Amino acid sequence: MKRFRFSRKQLCIPYALFLVCFVILPLAVIVYYAFTDGSGRFTLANFLSFFTNGNTIGTLCYSAVIAVAVTAVCLLIAYPAAYVLARSGLKRGPVLLMLFILPMWINFTLRITALKEILTVIEGNLSLHPFLNTVIGMTYDYLPFMILPLYTTLLQLDQNLLEAARDLGAGPASVFSRVTLPLSMPGIVSGITMTFLPAMTNYVILDMMYNSTYIMGSLIGSYFNIYDWNNGSMISLILFAVICIVSIVTGGGDQEDAKNRGAVL
Amino acid sequence: MTAESKRKRCRPVRTAAAGLILTTGLSLALPGTVLTGGPASVSAAENSQKVTLRIANWEEYIDEGDWDEEEAIDLDDREGTTILGENSMVEDFEEWYRETYGVDVEIEYSTFGTNEDLYNQLTLGNNFDLVCPSEYMFMKLIAENRLQPLSEEFFDEQNENNFYIRGVSDYIRNIFDTNTINGEPWSKYAAGYMWGTTGIVYNPDVISKEEASHWAVLADPKYKGQVTIKDNVRDSYFAALGILNEKELLDPEFIQAPDRLERIAEIMNRTDEETVGKAEAMLKRMKENAYSFESDSGKADMVTGKVLANYQWSGDAVYTLDQAEIDDYYLAYAVPEECTNVWFDGWVMLKDGIAGDAAKQQAAEAFMNFMSRPDNVVRNMYYIGYTSVIAGGDSDIIYAYADWCYGAEDDAEDTIEYPVGFFFSGDNADEDYIITAEADQADRQLFAQYPPQDVLERAVVMQYFDQEKNERINQMWVNVRCFDLASLTWQDWAKIAAVVIVLAASLVIYKKRDKIRIRSGA
Repeated sequence: MKRFRFSRKQLCIPYALFLVCFVILPLAVIVYYAFTDGSGRFTLANFLSFFTNGNTIGTLCYSAVIAVAVTAVCLLIAYPAAYVLARSGLKRGPVLLMLFILPMWINFTLRITALKEILTVIEGNLSLHPFLNTVIGMTYDYLPFMILPLYTTLLQLDQNLLEAARDLGAGPASVFSRVTLPLSMPGIVSGITMTFLPAMTNYVILDMMYNSTYIMGSLIGSYFNIYDWNNGSMISLILFAVICIVSIVTGGGDQEDAKNRGAVL
Repeated sequence: MTAESKRKRCRPVRTAAAGLILTTGLSLALPGTVLTGGPASVSAAENSQKVTLRIANWEEYIDEGDWDEEEAIDLDDREGTTILGENSMVEDFEEWYRETYGVDVEIEYSTFGTNEDLYNQLTLGNNFDLVCPSEYMFMKLIAENRLQPLSEEFFDEQNENNFYIRGVSDYIRNIFDTNTINGEPWSKYAAGYMWGTTGIVYNPDVISKEEASHWAVLADPKYKGQVTIKDNVRDSYFAALGILNEKELLDPEFIQAPDRLERIAEIMNRTDEETVGKAEAMLKRMKENAYSFESDSGKADMVTGKVLANYQWSGDAVYTLDQAEIDDYYLAYAVPEECTNVWFDGWVMLKDGIAGDAAKQQAAEAFMNFMSRPDNVVRNMYYIGYTSVIAGGDSDIIYAYADWCYGAEDDAEDTIEYPVGFFFSGDNADEDYIITAEADQADRQLFAQYPPQDVLERAVVMQYFDQEKNERINQMWVNVRCFDLASLTWQDWAKIAAVVIVLAASLVIYKKRDKIRIRSGA
């Protein structure tokens, strides 16, 4: 009896099925709803109403500003932290890293609730600084997602390149700006993608921090709440497009930096 | 230890936005295919005698049994009944139905977090037989012709198993008979479950009762950042209209008018463009002034003292007051002088679910009746903390329970006579229904749970709005909640421009650093 063996192609089947069921089909459903009206006829009205309504544009800008702020603050905190952890040869480096990662093991709603209490003690009344609190809350939540990829890239950084740069007369500042920073770009990019996208949509943190202004996630939710799946889907799709653009822009920069890296060598 | 602090109350989660999105998202992926057809439909086919009933109710909105022995409630009614929830209400019903009707019934019980969540599930083809939405949602379902009318037998007061019709309060019955949708009264389709008012939970040490008794407290700059407002369009819109029409609603002539209730209902259900526009401006003001819009956090924030006033449903108000009391923190509940929104959760049967199956309809109606049996009513009220629409009819168990909860100890000094006859017998002067309660109960749990007659004289139903009106107020709500670019001043724009320019410049410098250096080096 011939033994049955899986060929490589057959091994792909479960993954292909998974992709079709959970990536392609849902996306197709969203596209269908986005370009139809309540009775299923094709329409561009949802698309046009998004760009002609000051409120939705305002929400897009507001979420983008929050996301940019969160990502920037995360990066500013995470880069030095990851650098120290990965490069300074601390004996307790892994333990310290663990301390940064540890909060992720606790459910985020619980962590945000705790943070809320701390901020209440510091600020008195949380409702006076809704924007600031949202940024603090999201930064707190997403910091590990920024630190981890940076730590990994910085750890893998080739020590010889840094030595070579120093031998060729570069000071510490130019070693950093011309070797370390370009080489850690992949980590920065993946860190940005992992914080920027959720920061635009995670309205649970927003709500918990008592910010009553919608971001994109809450806007989509509110449309589904009033059974307007068509507009809700259209906004999801537009958000999807925005995210794609952001990824392409950051990814494109990455490639250019890869060339620079060649120049350094 | 007072009677109330003995009570175990569980919080019904009426809104869970995150959950909704998750469910909606998942169900959208595979429309209608995943959710239909439970495993029990197979067993129903095996045994034609067996009826399967699919019920959907709010989370934590039914007695789940498992009480401790000490929790047993010894009532002071005529029969000296003791109430103890050993098994869950659903199990008890299955047993009772078998004994009474000789038919096996299997309940598939599921829960939902918001009315919209339920509606989305129904739209996606989840065939429930019996559901318990709020009044505006069952009005929507009636308008969409999706409900199965109650049978004539259900209204037969001679049948001693018809606990609902024999026990429902006349006040509630009247509302269910007189409120119509497309000319059909609610009572044709719906049997009430729980009810209450909307009002304001407040800290009486800081906010006076007088202040809290007006919707305007929610927009008062004096309490900036210290009040929370419900995060849903219907409740918020109602409050905004209450503030906008305060003068007219409080006019002594208006209050004396014989048709006051109808006139309040007319004012509070206005949805013309001008009114909606004004409400939008008012809600924007309220948003700036409030601590937050909340869907669930308001109770906890009230108990921990983060806020001083919280717009709340009476059932959750009782819960908030109870929770605060555990920490010896005393809050109060007020219903605005202008008007209040009387709300209901009610049982309705779905046409698609029942599908003309008489045995199923009988089981569904029996379930409504079983939930209205006075001892079961007490179990549910004890467990949930809300107020049932059932007054008890011939039985005095429910009144005895109210008295057990709120009646003052014999040696209490400062007491009041609190009439609840309006609800229990239709006559507020009825001496059989006067609770001797501690004086502060007139502003607290008793007041929230059994509002006095004067509150009910200004309690109106917020109607279900048709598509066009609904879209208008929903759009208004989105406008209130979205960030308004027009609210930015030119200074703000200048700041934004400065930041963008600095960022762009530093990026360009970073990218071109090699060229710059080469040039300066050369």
